[in-house]
Amino acid sequence: MTNLKILFTVVATLAVFTFVANVIPQVQSAVPREIVLNADMPPEELAAIGEEIYAGAGGCTACHGLGTRAPDLLGVVGGVCATRVPGQSCKDYLWESLVNPTAYIVEGFDPIMIDQSIVSSQAELWTLVAFLQSQGGEITVNADDFAAALAADDAAASAPPPVAVTDLSQVDAVALITAQGCLACHALGGEGGMVAPPFEELRGQDPAFVLEGIVDPMATINEEYSTFAGTMPTIFGDLMSPVELDVLVDFFVGGAGGGAEAPGDAAEVPPDSVGGSR
Amino acid sequence: MKRWITRGVATRGVLLAVLVLAVALPLLAQAPGPDYGEFNFLGLDRRGAVWIAAQLHLLFAAFVLGVPMFAVVIEAIGMFGGDEKYDKLAKEFTRLLLVAYSATAIWGAILVFFLSTLYPRFWAYLTAIFAPSMWVYAGLFFLESFTLYLYYYGWDAWKKGAAKKAHWCLGIMLNVWGTIVMFIANGWLTYMMSPPEGLTADTAPQTVQLWSAINNATWMPINIHRLLANVVFGGAIVGAYAAYRFLTSKTDEERAHYDWMGYTGNLIAIGALIVLPFAGYWLGREIYEFSQQMGITMMGGFMSWLWIIQAFLIGILFLAGNYYLWIGMGRIPGAERFQPYIKWMLLVLVLGVIVWATPNTMIADRDEIAAMGGIRHPFLQVLGVMSAKNTAVNLMILTTFLSFLMYRRANKDPVVPWARAGTMLQGAAFALCAVIVVFYGVYGYFVTAIVRIGFSVYQVLAVLATILFVIGIDMAMLRGARSRGEIRWGRMPDRSQYALLILAVTFTWLMGLMGFARSGIRQHWHVYEVIRDTSEQAFTPALGPAATIISICVLIFFGLVGLIFWLGGLAERSVYQEAEAKVKAGQEGRAALGDPMPAPSLGDVD
Repeated sequence: MTNLKILFTVVATLAVFTFVANVIPQVQSAVPREIVLNADMPPEELAAIGEEIYAGAGGCTACHGLGTRAPDLLGVVGGVCATRVPGQSCKDYLWESLVNPTAYIVEGFDPIMIDQSIVSSQAELWTLVAFLQSQGGEITVNADDFAAALAADDAAASAPPPVAVTDLSQVDAVALITAQGCLACHALGGEGGMVAPPFEELRGQDPAFVLEGIVDPMATINEEYSTFAGTMPTIFGDLMSPVELDVLVDFFVGGAGGGAEAPGDAAEVPPDSVGGSR
Repeated sequence: MKRWITRGVATRGVLLAVLVLAVALPLLAQAPGPDYGEFNFLGLDRRGAVWIAAQLHLLFAAFVLGVPMFAVVIEAIGMFGGDEKYDKLAKEFTRLLLVAYSATAIWGAILVFFLSTLYPRFWAYLTAIFAPSMWVYAGLFFLESFTLYLYYYGWDAWKKGAAKKAHWCLGIMLNVWGTIVMFIANGWLTYMMSPPEGLTADTAPQTVQLWSAINNATWMPINIHRLLANVVFGGAIVGAYAAYRFLTSKTDEERAHYDWMGYTGNLIAIGALIVLPFAGYWLGREIYEFSQQMGITMMGGFMSWLWIIQAFLIGILFLAGNYYLWIGMGRIPGAERFQPYIKWMLLVLVLGVIVWATPNTMIADRDEIAAMGGIRHPFLQVLGVMSAKNTAVNLMILTTFLSFLMYRRANKDPVVPWARAGTMLQGAAFALCAVIVVFYGVYGYFVTAIVRIGFSVYQVLAVLATILFVIGIDMAMLRGARSRGEIRWGRMPDRSQYALLILAVTFTWLMGLMGFARSGIRQHWHVYEVIRDTSEQAFTPALGPAATIISICVLIFFGLVGLIFWLGGLAERSVYQEAEAKVKAGQEGRAALGDPMPAPSLGDVD
């Protein structure tokens, strides 16, 4: 009988733990699909991969296709790309649109797009160009373009990593915000995009929450900006050093690092405002 | 005895041969084979098989590494203090190691087989880097086995004088070998978490320097964390063993012995648990330093709810540990004067658990967000932050220490002239500590994160300083104290022993959960951001399925441990029965001769 009671105690305790762990929200970490690129790929295959990036990891559809934030490109852009800028070929125009998106703004739209070379490799950008050309036009991206891009990506990957910044005083938060292209979506002091909450709204927020928003933008979605959820790249945790992230977070929440330059005023911040579709 | 040793060494020889073979085969293999082997047994896939084997190997290994640490300390207390009961307790702890040691080796061999057959390419990769350390590991394992056998079987032969000191040194050597073995294995697993900078999937494993692979970013934090956790775990399992033996005891003498053993095991477990979070903080910080992304995945990503489960489990540990102490006060004359305080301590603990288990953010749909008035629930955004949680856990630690202090003081009346002042000083230290903890907790809401993180250090230091200060005063104050009566060891209700069992199960499950967290933050990588897991089980499961696997592991572990306890009980019972018969015969003989000498006690029987 004693042995049975002991067995029951062990099993019942395990059952309670298992039950509790099963009734809480279940989140599984899926495996991101790896895209393998090489210079021998036929144009159609490049376009197919470009479509995957366009609709998935690239986050392009968060703005393009809505008809309000950015032009709808599907089925159209391949036919008009060569006519946008006199003397510029379709391929060059699309490439420039990706790496220098404010160079040409389609009438009726705002300069809200960030430099995609921050988010994607050069080879991935060429697949996007191939896909966009396929939307109403002819794919002219060739093996030479692609081979050069792959070589550039390899060179970038094998380049020595930048020296890690360890001194807080060496980091200028505003310069960092500009360099990382944050203002494409967020506004600071009235300047910048409107796809995501202005940085002033982060004043007084929990710094851990703000840091999470930078590194894992989908962790919490602001309802007001949920339309644009998924737009923000998930690479900033790797692009910035821990010290840079600390300075940035401190600047946003209005702490010591931000000092008098920290944006906004705590009194203006609604209590439930959050980082948004970061 | 000789036969046992011979058999044991032979078993280990076979196991070593297995290890050697498993290490050597991938090195000898020239032709590239498949990345993954096939496995399907009762719905269990290859990852499940490796998971269970690794978890069980780790649980037994933690036990055989943790127990010698406090066995050797208890032996020293007995040796230098001249109290033989500590020596006997240390020996009984060590006896549990023998079978557990075999189980560790068996599960280790199963794990190696699974890895080399189900993950052949990855195993070959690891052996290409770590082979030399694997040979050293095997050699040390052999050395550890011999030391353990000498330590246990030489216990009675080397009982006095210099021989006893040499025996104690064997215990220390056992710990040294075991610790090095663990550090080596930790090098392998932490390499998978935090490989040295600059490695890519194309880096030939032969070119990776062994020491840089072992001495990676999370190696030392894991080493320290595991050392402490092993003591906690060992204490808890010893407590469970004592509880089992207490519940199945036939005599008061046995009950008294196992009651004392259970109390000691629990004290070791809870005592080491109090310092464990500091090692955890260090490990967490190193993970963040290594990769912000990995740190966020662990604390704020898909694993964020894991910490709520952890808080729930640690809440159970605190409640069960204190409950055991409070019940134990029932067997101490004079403890009744502390009874009125228990309900208030319970209140602090329950409130602490509630705060600690409060999530920071909830995954909510639009309707729920609207109902909450924002994405952050008004309660959660106040209680679910680190300021509130750190305050709660520090107050819980302080309350647990107060329970222990009451337990310790229960049957003693200090006789030093400054006793009243000393007690008031202790009370003032507790009050001051609580004020410091609450002050920094509240102040934390008004400062930035960088400042707030610093506050948690002040809170922890305040608690640690209070513990040291109060226990220092207590030791001085209770020197030569008047006794209100001896502790009535063995006079414990059965429910107290079930609390010990629940503690052991909870500790074990918590180890499984934390193991999942440590391993899961690699996500779809065998070696983080170097070697990708391309198998169909590369995804990281949600907490529910993970919990099911953990529970299966814990159930198997306790099934095997129960078997070990039962076998141990069989051997021990026959010794007790034999001794009882001897005692009875002695008493009858002396009665017939009119001998006034006291009868020997069963406690003298080993």
